[in-house]
Amino acid sequence: MTRHGDGSRGRDGVPALAMAGAVFGAVVLWLADAGRDPDTTSTFFSGVVGGLYLLTGSVTHLRRPCPLGLRMVTVGIAWFAEDLQVSIAPVPHTAGMFFRSVASACLLHLLLAFPEGRLRTRTERVVTGAVYVIALVLVPVGVPFYRSVTPNLLLVADLARTQDMLIDGAQMVFAVVVAGLLVRRWFVATPPARRVLAPVYGVGLVGSVASLLHPALPGSSALLVNEVAHLAALGLPVAFLAGALRVRLGRTAVADFLLQLPRIPPTELRDLLARVLGDPTLRIAYPCPDDPDSANNYLDADGRPVAPRPDDAVTSVRRGLRVVAVLLHDPALRADRHVLHAVTAAAALELDNQRLAAEVRAQLAEVRASRVRIVAAADEQRRRIERDLHDGAQQQLVTTALILRLARDRLGPAPPDPELHALHALLQRAADGLDAAMTELRELARGIHPAVLTEAGLLPALRALAARSAYPVHIVDGPALPPLADRVAATAYFVAAEAVTNAAKHACANQVNVHVRASENRLLVTVADDGVGNADMSGGTGLLGLRDRVAALDGKLVVRSFPSAGTSVHAELPLEGP
Amino acid sequence: MTTATTPPAPAAGVTRVVLADDASLFRTALAELLERDGYAIVAQAGNADELLDAVERHRPDIAVVDIRMPPTHRLEGLRAAVLLRQRHPGTGVLVLSQHLEVAHLDELVGHTARGVGYLLKDRVTGPDFLDAVRRVAADGCAFDPEVVPLLVGGRSRRDELAELSPRERQVLALMAQGRSNNAIADELHLTTRTVETHVRNVFQRLTLPDEAEHNRRVLAVLAYLRSA
Repeated sequence: MTRHGDGSRGRDGVPALAMAGAVFGAVVLWLADAGRDPDTTSTFFSGVVGGLYLLTGSVTHLRRPCPLGLRMVTVGIAWFAEDLQVSIAPVPHTAGMFFRSVASACLLHLLLAFPEGRLRTRTERVVTGAVYVIALVLVPVGVPFYRSVTPNLLLVADLARTQDMLIDGAQMVFAVVVAGLLVRRWFVATPPARRVLAPVYGVGLVGSVASLLHPALPGSSALLVNEVAHLAALGLPVAFLAGALRVRLGRTAVADFLLQLPRIPPTELRDLLARVLGDPTLRIAYPCPDDPDSANNYLDADGRPVAPRPDDAVTSVRRGLRVVAVLLHDPALRADRHVLHAVTAAAALELDNQRLAAEVRAQLAEVRASRVRIVAAADEQRRRIERDLHDGAQQQLVTTALILRLARDRLGPAPPDPELHALHALLQRAADGLDAAMTELRELARGIHPAVLTEAGLLPALRALAARSAYPVHIVDGPALPPLADRVAATAYFVAAEAVTNAAKHACANQVNVHVRASENRLLVTVADDGVGNADMSGGTGLLGLRDRVAALDGKLVVRSFPSAGTSVHAELPLEGP
Repeated sequence: MTTATTPPAPAAGVTRVVLADDASLFRTALAELLERDGYAIVAQAGNADELLDAVERHRPDIAVVDIRMPPTHRLEGLRAAVLLRQRHPGTGVLVLSQHLEVAHLDELVGHTARGVGYLLKDRVTGPDFLDAVRRVAADGCAFDPEVVPLLVGGRSRRDELAELSPRERQVLALMAQGRSNNAIADELHLTTRTVETHVRNVFQRLTLPDEAEHNRRVLAVLAYLRSA
């Protein structure tokens, strides 16, 4: 919202600034009119050049969302400010002295920042900064020490010659540096980029040559060359506009896009589109798969909702009749509809791929999350059943067994009365039956979810499993395990328990080894027996169900079984879990 | 829920018991069992506050406490037991649990494994229970055979425990249950002398200080309990 607000203020702000600049220019022209030297500049000429910068800057700004237009408007205003010194009235003249070099500085900035409106390299920034320091700090500081024809009201001492020499020298140095930078840019530019630079470079070159030749030529030739230089000065803002519009209208955008599309990773598609269309705020969104017809209901590549900003223009990207994506962008891009459409048409296939990939990713994530939730819910259910059995049935049975014991104790160890003796035997049988029921219930609860797993963790649970086993089960553990998530510990336990049970039932094993260790964020559980091998994974071993459970946690389960070589069951589980 | 009738003052030398369990049927049956075995039940409590009051008032030799009690039926009993151990070192505490809850055992045992025990509730129908009550009331300790292997097989002291032979582990497990050397010898079908040798080896391998036999026993047991 804020961004949008700034954007719209910027959009109207630059033309407004240009209007103010035009008013300022008119005042300056009126003030300076009397001081014009007819051989060099005329009021008309000066007004046209400044006015052209203001006009072309505004047009550029309205048609391209970048700072280039602002730069051009600034040059126009600086151009008028520089003209103020021409006035022969002492006050405006003295004021104008402070702005003697601002137009050059602003023009240099514009040149270096062309065509994006931003400086790209450190060198460019340093050079521009240095020129601004000269024009806005050193030159104004020198004003009291510069005697000019029109009285300088602030004059303290006259160092005009020295200043002229210094400024001429600086101009020379910067002219060479800037020329070097511009030549270098021309040579590294791709052909499409050269098309953008060409108008400015052409006009600039003619103007520079003419300006350099002018003082060296005599008489009529000099006048002719001067006309050329003037025309170049007039042409330069137009050349900037033409160059700026070439970025927009030229096939450079489409050509660049087509050239680069196969080379970029899909994640950089947005950046590429933003670059070739010249709109850094551009966003890609996809129609919501559940509700494809609804406007303003978009998702980004990760499936998060995207809300268009109030001022966003929305361009649909279609394949056939289907909208595969939308671009949310600056409305200024619409001024150049066919470039926008050409680029989006070229991007449609890639965008469609990305939309499908995003949809699949979102669905996969959902399915995986739901598998994990199912496992966790099943575990929770089992834990609760186990707890309920203990707290409910088991508690009742214990109390009943205790009461039976009391009853038996009352009868004494061996009552002489045969009736009582028979009663004692009955009570004993009832107590035995109750004991058996309690044992079975405990085993049942343990099979559902061993309490020791919840209370003490995986290794104690495995040790308890080994201790209950009818044949030797050896637990081998490596260095201390990190804390395990409940679902990881439970899955590892159930895999081990199932494999141990299978070994007992089918493998005729003498010895079972259970290895547990953690390695690189994975929990590794291996159950190996020395039995007959040949385990049949299809035959209801229970391991199939566990394979799903392991897969739900993003782990894997491998069973190796060869005749007379034993069976090994190996599970790998990510410690973090999905 | 404290029984309204004040029980007759027990004869000197009789072990005095406070019972705490919210299931009154179970509690009264347990009281009867203990009374028939010669214990004096001085109070019965149905929740943790009643338990603390009763112990404060009667200063019994032992409190038998169910881990779960109202209001949440989670660990109220255990928390009360820990408090009792701090406030009344003279009162033994035997905790009963429907199933294994070893998480807070360390806290229960504290600095000394004297006058403390932990049994599964199932045991009340067998001989282990009365044994355990006797030992805890006499300032000994008693831990459920199902709990001890978990403690012995725990994590932090694993290196020290790895030093022990399987037989030594077995002996130590029984020590942790509070058994005497003679009882251990009976259980494992060994001579008392052999058991004594194992016990000495255990002390040595756990590098326990050379103190009185009883203290070292307690320290050895503590070593196991700490390993949970």
